[in-house]
Amino acid sequence: MISRRDTIAGYLLLTLAALISLGPLIGVVVLALGEPGRVGIKLDITQATNFGNFADVWEKGDFGPAILTSFIITTTVVVVSVILSVPAGYAFALMDFPGRTAIFALLVLGILMPLEAMIVPLFLDMRRFNLDNNYWSVILPQIGFSVAFGAFWMRAFFVQSARSLMEAAWIDGANSWRTLTRVLMPLARPQMLTLAVLFFVWNWNDFLLPLVMLSGSDLQTAPMALVTFEGARRTDFAYVGAASLITIAPVVIVFILLQRSFTRGILAGSVKE
Amino acid sequence: MSERVAFEDVSVIYPGMAEAALSHVNLEVEEGEFLVLVGPSGCGKSTFLRALAGLEAVSTGRIMIGDRDVTRVPAKDRDIAMVFQNYALYPHMTVAQNMGFALNIAKIPRAEIARRVREAAELLDLTNYLDRKPKALSGGQRQRVAMGRAIVREPQVFLMDEPLSNLDAQLRVQTRTQIATLQRRLGTTTVYVTHDQVEAMTMGDRVVILKDGVVQQVDTPDNLYRHPVNAFVAGFIGSPSMNLIEARVTGNTADIQGFALPLPREVVDTAHAGRVIVGCRPEELQLTDTGIPMTVQLVESLGADSFVYGVVDTIAGPTTVITRTHPADKPALGSSVHVTPRQAHFFSCEGDRPRL
Ligand SMILES: Nc1ncnc2c1ncn2[C@@H]1O[C@H](COP(=O)(O)OP(=O)(O)OP(=O)(O)O)[C@@H](O)[C@H]1O
Ligand SMILES: [Mg+2]
Repeated sequence: MISRRDTIAGYLLLTLAALISLGPLIGVVVLALGEPGRVGIKLDITQATNFGNFADVWEKGDFGPAILTSFIITTTVVVVSVILSVPAGYAFALMDFPGRTAIFALLVLGILMPLEAMIVPLFLDMRRFNLDNNYWSVILPQIGFSVAFGAFWMRAFFVQSARSLMEAAWIDGANSWRTLTRVLMPLARPQMLTLAVLFFVWNWNDFLLPLVMLSGSDLQTAPMALVTFEGARRTDFAYVGAASLITIAPVVIVFILLQRSFTRGILAGSVKE
Repeated sequence: MSERVAFEDVSVIYPGMAEAALSHVNLEVEEGEFLVLVGPSGCGKSTFLRALAGLEAVSTGRIMIGDRDVTRVPAKDRDIAMVFQNYALYPHMTVAQNMGFALNIAKIPRAEIARRVREAAELLDLTNYLDRKPKALSGGQRQRVAMGRAIVREPQVFLMDEPLSNLDAQLRVQTRTQIATLQRRLGTTTVYVTHDQVEAMTMGDRVVILKDGVVQQVDTPDNLYRHPVNAFVAGFIGSPSMNLIEARVTGNTADIQGFALPLPREVVDTAHAGRVIVGCRPEELQLTDTGIPMTVQLVESLGADSFVYGVVDTIAGPTTVITRTHPADKPALGSSVHVTPRQAHFFSCEGDRPRL
């Protein structure tokens, strides 16, 4: 039984946490709707009426093409990475093959290595294969990083939840592939969706990799466009605020969309005994 | 469709383990037989089933199903159905889908699957639950779905790993009879694992007693009770269990606290280190005026019978001895009485080696 006092305390804490995390965002929204061209930060909610700022920024900062580029790259990375992470995690968790531990250790090392340490050789490699300044130069490394984490994540799920179901499926005559697709994947749906959300957020917000890889081309991702735009109008805080919101909008939308099936997924998975 | 199963010198050693979980097992299960595997926890019962199912690789020997050597055949191709202890029902599928899954994988036509699932559901009284998910079922119903999933397949062999251990006592007794009846009706070769000797004795055509991965005895329930081959089997089967009293061999007799029990010739000849274990079931011991002295510690009355628990000083130290008497004859607590064996079994003191 949760007492009334605990309930109230819980709500207070949650409200506080929400305010702390939402506060800056609300600030940016108010800022973005402020009067354009004014120097200095002034958060005045009564003047937050300049909805035209978004259209102006979209136009001036070339955000249309940038968001399209980001979208192409990120969706490809998310889809391919999730598709690869699931069987990889399955193999690491439940299949016996020589070198399993060693390969898995290598994978974990890949998660631990900071991008900064790898970016230069990575760039040189991409150039050797003539992939620099092209979508693939961002997509391929991002898939690499994502699958390293994704295999780790899915393995954890398969290891702790699936042994006896998998054995039941084998005895029922299912091969490894069927076991994965018909029995384990339906159960792993919430984990796969979470992974997709994480991949989307990380890769959409990634700045360094596209900056290095695409430096010699006209291609730019949304965060790159934002930085360029900021550089040009450092003091025009209303525009900078609007540009920031445009850049993060897709992440928020994806999060909200997937969040729904995400809760459904968790409920569907909860029948597991 | 039912087939014979044979283990020929099968050992299973888990990776990194020094001891074999299953050690040189030779065993034959007849076509259509209900064979029960029983033994204390960790003796290798599940390992036996898993080896037969193809979930565990064997280290030596071979496993035959019918005339087919399946030692290296993967689980999915062995045509075996298994009921797991935790049932392992697919949580995202309905009862009907759970039962039909194997047939579906085997590409059996839809109509045929529906018919077989319906028949199994009728047999197991699950017709009203076909559209439910396992989550929405009681423990007993889940157990029946697990059974259903096995029987719709019409496999060559059924394996059951303590299928009743999650049920309450009453349901367990009821389901025990149902499973035995169902198995006789279907006539499918079945290997059933339990750690409950009552289950073993009531259900099995034959019972295998396993200890530390080694088969101790394979026999009908009656023979196990009447002619246990060693002290372990003797103590394991029967409730309350057989009294095992260690005694010194003097001449042609076993000496228990001055009481001389005549020994058969071959027992005397093969006694190990001049000692022998005398085994007596509670009903084979009689309260008498002279005999083995015993101090009464507890008397349990069960209506028709009483069990008298006492302590006998033996060469191996004080040993608890149980005898069955008529309630009218029951002695007072703490009193000194005497017991005499009406009948006795003799076992070697040397580990659990088969009888002398
Ligand atoms: N995966 C494993 N790796 C290493 N040792 C194992 C493994 N599984 C079982 N064992 C060991 O093998 C022996 C036999 O285990 P098994 O599970 O067959 O026992 P069991 O008779 O089924 O016991 P219970 O009645 O408790 O289920 C035990 O000593 C156990 O510790
Ligand atoms: Mg077991």
